[in-house]
Amino acid sequence: MAITRRISLQKHKPALSRRAFLASGTAMALLPAMTLRAQAQDMTPVDGGVLKLAFSADPAGMDPALGPSGMSHVVIEQIYSTLMSLDPDAQPYPDLAEGYEVSDDGMQYTFTLRQGVKFHNGDDLTAEDVKYTFDRLRAPDSGYAYDSQVATIQEVTAIDPYTVRFDLSAPTGPFLTYMAFPGSSIVPKNLLEAGHDLNAQPVGSGPFKFVSYQPRSMITFEKNGDFYEEGKPHFDGLEMHLIADVTALTNAVLSGTVNFSNEIPPKDWQTVSSTPGITGQTLEGSRFYWLLPNHDRSPMDNPLVRQAIAHAIDRSAIVAGTFFGQATPILGGVIPEWNWAYADLEYFAPRGDVEKAKALLAEAGHPDGFETSLTMASSFPAMVSMAPIIQANLAAVGIKVSIDTMEIPRYWDEVWAPSKFDMTAMYWVSPLADPDDFVYNNYHSGTALNVQKSGDASMDEILVKAKSGTTRDERKADYLKQQEMSLEQMPIVPLVNAWLLIAHTDKLKNYKPMRSGFLKTIKDAWLET
Amino acid sequence: MGRLISTRLAAFVMTLFAASIVLFLTINILPGSAAKSALGMEATPQAIARFEAQRGLDRPLVVQYVEWLSKTITGDFGTSFQNSVPVGPELLKRIPVTLELATLAFLIANLVAIPLGTLAAARHTRASDKTTTFAATVLGAVPNFWLATLLIMVFSLNLRWLPPGGFTSFVDDPAQNLRQMIMPALSLGLVSSALLIRIMRASMIEVLSSDYIRTAHAKGANETIVIRRHALRNSLIPYMNVAAVEFGFLFGSAVVIEDIFRLPGVGSLVLVGIINRDFPVLLASALTITVFVLVVNLIVDLAVGLLDPRRVKGSQA
Repeated sequence: MAITRRISLQKHKPALSRRAFLASGTAMALLPAMTLRAQAQDMTPVDGGVLKLAFSADPAGMDPALGPSGMSHVVIEQIYSTLMSLDPDAQPYPDLAEGYEVSDDGMQYTFTLRQGVKFHNGDDLTAEDVKYTFDRLRAPDSGYAYDSQVATIQEVTAIDPYTVRFDLSAPTGPFLTYMAFPGSSIVPKNLLEAGHDLNAQPVGSGPFKFVSYQPRSMITFEKNGDFYEEGKPHFDGLEMHLIADVTALTNAVLSGTVNFSNEIPPKDWQTVSSTPGITGQTLEGSRFYWLLPNHDRSPMDNPLVRQAIAHAIDRSAIVAGTFFGQATPILGGVIPEWNWAYADLEYFAPRGDVEKAKALLAEAGHPDGFETSLTMASSFPAMVSMAPIIQANLAAVGIKVSIDTMEIPRYWDEVWAPSKFDMTAMYWVSPLADPDDFVYNNYHSGTALNVQKSGDASMDEILVKAKSGTTRDERKADYLKQQEMSLEQMPIVPLVNAWLLIAHTDKLKNYKPMRSGFLKTIKDAWLET
Repeated sequence: MGRLISTRLAAFVMTLFAASIVLFLTINILPGSAAKSALGMEATPQAIARFEAQRGLDRPLVVQYVEWLSKTITGDFGTSFQNSVPVGPELLKRIPVTLELATLAFLIANLVAIPLGTLAAARHTRASDKTTTFAATVLGAVPNFWLATLLIMVFSLNLRWLPPGGFTSFVDDPAQNLRQMIMPALSLGLVSSALLIRIMRASMIEVLSSDYIRTAHAKGANETIVIRRHALRNSLIPYMNVAAVEFGFLFGSAVVIEDIFRLPGVGSLVLVGIINRDFPVLLASALTITVFVLVVNLIVDLAVGLLDPRRVKGSQA
């Protein structure tokens, strides 16, 4: 059961579909001059127009401290700004901060702020607002859903109006990434102390000002003319159309009612991306799917059985059947290839390894397999679609699986929260794209996501150590070790990483999709007239 | 007549009260907790307890019901669990959308049912009657959401004549409003017309076989005149009874159709309320639909009562 370094492995590499087209020989032979001229024209920004984006969910709030959902963050990052931001490859860079210094022991971060930044109400943004923001998030009754991100902040000091220092209680590897998280958006101190409700009327210093919100219908924004990045944003405004039904959402994209969506279902991707007037972009991000065997139930409490299940699964069939090719099979650790902590491990065969799975089952004392069940949330179409594939894969090694499906509110209540399942599956979109974000919540004992009830002291220890590393090399070595351990212990069974599928009008230029799935780069894009 | 109105009104209030209890109980015994739906996969016991305490969900059901009812009577529908937005103002914005949809669908249903039902009756047992009856049976078996999807595929995605969804207020842009409303109204109205065609046909057949129609025929009046001048009005009385109830039904049928066409009406609010276990939203929107259906029934009851000669005679006695 040795884990080997990957020597050569053909992986499905997502690429920009337009780039792929241009890279083809025919296109290159026919179009070189035209392409260059078009690109030159493309790179001249055009101001004006309204970008109409479609989303399936409503924001659960627009106050950075109280907006727990992914859609809240999509709204928050357009209105507010953060000390750091993530670039398309999820690398943090100074944003509201002009620069920063870190002490050698990693316990102190000092940020120098941009001068002249104003909130949408006209107030100056200073170090006092930064201090107020983090003191508010750290307050014991703040209700902040991501309180673990600010847990190591011991004190925030406004040294002068444009310098702020963070003293930490322990080195925190992802600290700069945490500073880029939408929840860490800087809020206006004076306004909030006067009793202003940011949920009703969000006020930040970001590229767009909030105009209105009609629940389950639309959120509108207008351009912030005083935005601190000269000449940006280029759009006059944004409209976020809230379309709960994904079929209706896809129809809205196809008909041109909206001109941007990053929620196209894989089954419709071919139709949408080949529609004239629409550009499709795919990118491997951080939406990974995993299978959870319940460690409290026999025989799933046996690591050999969990390994057998992991080897029996044909991940390439899931990629083809469930994601229509728009996903990457996870063949080793769950940290994706584009991330700096990628471990390059070859462990699973893309099509599964029946013989190895059978041998492991025999070694575990189940040579004839066993009967078990797989419970899926019916509101997640990908789960329902992959269930029969997993069922067939496991049947091939003698494990008879019955499939149950359940609508999502019942699923959370009766299956997920009380850990009442033999096996289930889940997916997770890492909002930070720090390696810690891919592994801590799934593998550390006692977290809200660890409903498989796995617990191992050495695993907990390596996760904490990797998180608190002060250099990237040190952390990378720890994550390699953690991922090797995860494949030996197999507390969860990694499946695939589904790509981001983004469809937008051909007229949208200079839009760079982000690995984190966020839309911060909207401010850099424009609509060609 | 005063007694008729007062008894009907009393029955209306009692029914509404009973419906409120049934609604509240049904929603609360639905499997799936509101807290876990809102918090999703990261619902820790502490987060659940905080969510339930903040919204009073940890108190006995009776206490919750009494508080909800007393607030609802004063027009306070609470705030959404999902997005913390007050439900009352949102509901007020949505009622006109559903009302417009139901009214347009009702118009379409009648414009189809009255001529076709009349034609079938006039050609009773002939080929056109059989064709109409068969078409009505087929139409009645078609689910409205299927018809809606078909209309979108043909008129939005293939022909690109109509938008696949969305809503513009009639006041802001009447033409765009009608372009957006026509397919949802057709989906509801055509399916609803199936029943009304059969009712119209049966009613007209009955009237056409009555003595005074035979007398009119005997006098030499032609078929068209007999139907238009004599039969139509009389056959419309029983027809309108059923049609009015159908109008109330259309208001409630908007749930799925509004979702498909992205109409921000009361129906789509019911759906998101169920999916998210957002109790304040679900209770308020379901209660609105209940009130609408009951009001339509009340009006029909009163109208029938007032028009029925036996009832008038009885109440005068």
